[in-house]
Amino acid sequence: MPHFEFNALTLLLAQISSVLVVSRALGMITRRLGQPLVIAEVLAGIVLGPSLLGWLWPEAAVALFPAQSMPVLQMLAQVGLVLFMFLVGLEFDARLLKGHARSSVIISHTSIVVPFALGAVAGWWLYEGYAEEGVSYLSFVLFLGVAMSITAFPVLARILSERHLLGSRVGAITMACAAVDDVTAWCILAFVVAVARAQGLQQALWTTLMALVFITVMLKLMRPFLERLGERVASREGLTSALVVLVLLLLFISSTVTEMIGIHALFGAFLFGAILPKSGRLAEMLIEKLETVAVLLLLPLFFAYSGLRTEIGLLNSTQDWMVALALIGVASLGKFGGSTLAARLTGMRWREASALGILMNTRGLMELIVLNIGLDLGVISPTVFTMMVIMALVTTVATTPILALVYPDRELARDRLRDGRAAEEEAPAPVTAMVCISNSDRGVALATLAGTLLARQNAHIYALHLREPSDSPSAMLRKDTDTEDGPLGPFLRRMGKQNLDVRPLSFVSSEPAADICRTARAKRASMVLLGAHKPLLLESSLDGTVSEVIEQAPGTVGVLIDHGLERIQRVLVACAGDPGDREAVRLAARLCSAPNARLSLLYIRPPRRAADAEVPAELLELAGPEAEVKAVVHPSPATAALAESRLGYDLVVIGKHDVWGLSGGRFGLRRHMLAESPASLLVIAGAPAAADAAQEAVPQPPAAQTL
Amino acid sequence: MHFGATLRLLRIDSGLSLRDLARRLRVSSAYLSRVEKGLDAAPTPARLADVAKELEVPATLLMDLAQRISPLVVDYVERVPDAGSLFLEIAHRNLNAAQLAEVRAMLDERFPVARPAGLPRGAALADLLAPERIVLGLSGASMEDVLDLAAGRLAESLPGTDAVSLARLLRASEAEVSSAIGGGIAVPCGYVSGVGALAAVVVLNEALHYDTPDGQPLRAVMVLLGPRDDPGRRLVLARIAGLAARGMAEALAGAQSAEEAYRWITHQSYLPLDVR
Repeated sequence: MPHFEFNALTLLLAQISSVLVVSRALGMITRRLGQPLVIAEVLAGIVLGPSLLGWLWPEAAVALFPAQSMPVLQMLAQVGLVLFMFLVGLEFDARLLKGHARSSVIISHTSIVVPFALGAVAGWWLYEGYAEEGVSYLSFVLFLGVAMSITAFPVLARILSERHLLGSRVGAITMACAAVDDVTAWCILAFVVAVARAQGLQQALWTTLMALVFITVMLKLMRPFLERLGERVASREGLTSALVVLVLLLLFISSTVTEMIGIHALFGAFLFGAILPKSGRLAEMLIEKLETVAVLLLLPLFFAYSGLRTEIGLLNSTQDWMVALALIGVASLGKFGGSTLAARLTGMRWREASALGILMNTRGLMELIVLNIGLDLGVISPTVFTMMVIMALVTTVATTPILALVYPDRELARDRLRDGRAAEEEAPAPVTAMVCISNSDRGVALATLAGTLLARQNAHIYALHLREPSDSPSAMLRKDTDTEDGPLGPFLRRMGKQNLDVRPLSFVSSEPAADICRTARAKRASMVLLGAHKPLLLESSLDGTVSEVIEQAPGTVGVLIDHGLERIQRVLVACAGDPGDREAVRLAARLCSAPNARLSLLYIRPPRRAADAEVPAELLELAGPEAEVKAVVHPSPATAALAESRLGYDLVVIGKHDVWGLSGGRFGLRRHMLAESPASLLVIAGAPAAADAAQEAVPQPPAAQTL
Repeated sequence: MHFGATLRLLRIDSGLSLRDLARRLRVSSAYLSRVEKGLDAAPTPARLADVAKELEVPATLLMDLAQRISPLVVDYVERVPDAGSLFLEIAHRNLNAAQLAEVRAMLDERFPVARPAGLPRGAALADLLAPERIVLGLSGASMEDVLDLAAGRLAESLPGTDAVSLARLLRASEAEVSSAIGGGIAVPCGYVSGVGALAAVVVLNEALHYDTPDGQPLRAVMVLLGPRDDPGRRLVLARIAGLAARGMAEALAGAQSAEEAYRWITHQSYLPLDVR
């Protein structure tokens, strides 16, 4: 072979190039096999290391990776790892836990405790034969425990996104568990490193104390500072190069401090990444900036470096291979078994639970990082290191095919459908309602009504106020009278107390009815609520607006005639055997869905139809089982309803119909009923389609959609 | 009024991409983008003439928009020195928007503007507008509310269309590119084939905080509707930009009724901005 003269730089460049070439070449193969790229990179290290290249062609291995070049490679790899662990920390987002906090904390802690315990047992078993001399029993046992309980968050995320599992329930919970796992495992590791490095118990305690101080400083001082920094990035400046330098500086300081304290530099990098705010775009932009260099360039060097240290030749007896096999078994049993059982106990189905267990068993490169730390510390011997590397490789490689076996795409599609349907049921399509307010004194009554009607619904409410052109003073004056203290004020304040989402809308209109209907149509409002004043109805000066709205509005229209409505506890719905009754009863029942509200249904039949059957079952069903039902025979439904309404009701609900005294297309109730009813009155006019006589044949859509 | 934002809307209206227009003008698209964002000065008159040709609008109109003081004013003051001293007096009195509106009302009353003979039909905002499509004093609104409201008015004037789909159309194009042109004015355009050009105006009572190129809050929104390729609408758009630079937002906010606002717009849009 031709003899190359390498100086330190050309050697390093040649090393980097060969690592990149080999890992990419292997990557093409592993991708075809459906394996993550990590596998290829780890294998590339092993291929270039003593296990293959050094075995087949020792001269080349020595020329390419001479022993004296190792420190340079190691340093570069370490810097890469610091950046990479920072990125891993950046990926950690507390918002991942949202909605799964309880189950994910339980599952992930179980999935650490069980393998940790099993690993410790394995450590106790292996200590005799495999621990290096001078390694303390405690640190060896603890280290094996930690090494067993690692889950690779990055590999996991990649597998989940490749299998389109990220949006599913299993995927979400697994991500949350892995995130918790990462944090917990790295904290334990930091402690184990401290124990392993410490000369005695006193120093270990000292290190632990310093670590706690460090964590407190990071959380209490650094995090608020970083949050402010994040806001600045979000607001205007964007990520300037000065900011990147500042973040990198803080990262390296944090790493240095942790290394000096005695808990590894990587912990500092991870913690710093984890506390960086994720809400703005800071984290995202940093990942974008750093990922290329850290993941594409420096990380393969780390893999190569750890591959170079993996000497499969060290496992030279059957017993060694048996031990390696046993380690794989113990690791999988602990991680898979622990998380599957815990997941099942939190209420997942067996199939989902085992899918989660399989996923959690992925160790990937996080395990390699941990193992390298152990090897550097001298806690584990090269032999154990090699065994554990094999274990990490096997558990990672096994994940994808086993997952496909246990949780095939067919099942996934079915579960996703089920999840989707459940989600739809939980969050009904938002109802849009429009409340028209013309005078401030009715704001409270309409707010009471709208608040009761739309409470516990995901409703969009528009509060519409139309001003007459004549009473609009100059533009400057108008400004003060708007929303807050204007006519909408009382309504908005009242609704605000109930935490309902109300959007005020107000403009000048010379034809209010048309504007109400136009706006309702453009907003796709399924219900329009408006008030009518007694005098207005009696003097029929403005009732044109109300009746026009009833005729033209797209959805249900509710007209409130307010007699001081402030609470809705006793509601009377009066029916006179009319198709419009349905809508009235339905809304009345909805008004009474609060626990302290009571509904009474008054069914009035004219004497000539006295022989008719009982109250229609349909109305009874709509009114609900708890409604009080009265049926009377009376020649004038209006008089009968008026008599009943005197018995201490807050609100009387009726459907718009002639029997109540509506005549000639003009909207107006009989004078005596209006003037004398002590209760407020709500007149419901159904949507045009619902008012048709043929509406019985139409199945009622789900309540959530039509209100 | 923001020249760059107006230029961008005109370009989008003419269906040209940034790169297309830059290539036709033989400038770099980076330069054109900077002009549109207001990071670079408006182009020279010679180049503006090229732009006007590509966009099919009168060159004088663009030049009027690009300059702080309209060339019309400069010409006029040179021709009639007395006018210069009148301007000076107004400047000395430091009249505010409301006072200027008063002066303007007086002018409109004493010397009403007739529709210029050479103005093609449909080239003035007033041609596309009617008092019923002017909404005054909207408050508590978001841009979506404004578009919904305008869609409701437009749908009534266009039989066979419904407010919901019009609103969706307008929202979609607004989501793509902000139609704010500065001076408190936004001009959302919706493209509907097979109908004549139509406009609706929504005047806001409380200024809407919106992404505007000059940072001024939004005061009035002019919604334009019409077929895709219509040079007439670009003329209207450019004229609206000209009005935006001349206190349109203030004038409309001061209007007491839709008829009054319509009168103002009619007068202003008949002023022969592009005839020299």
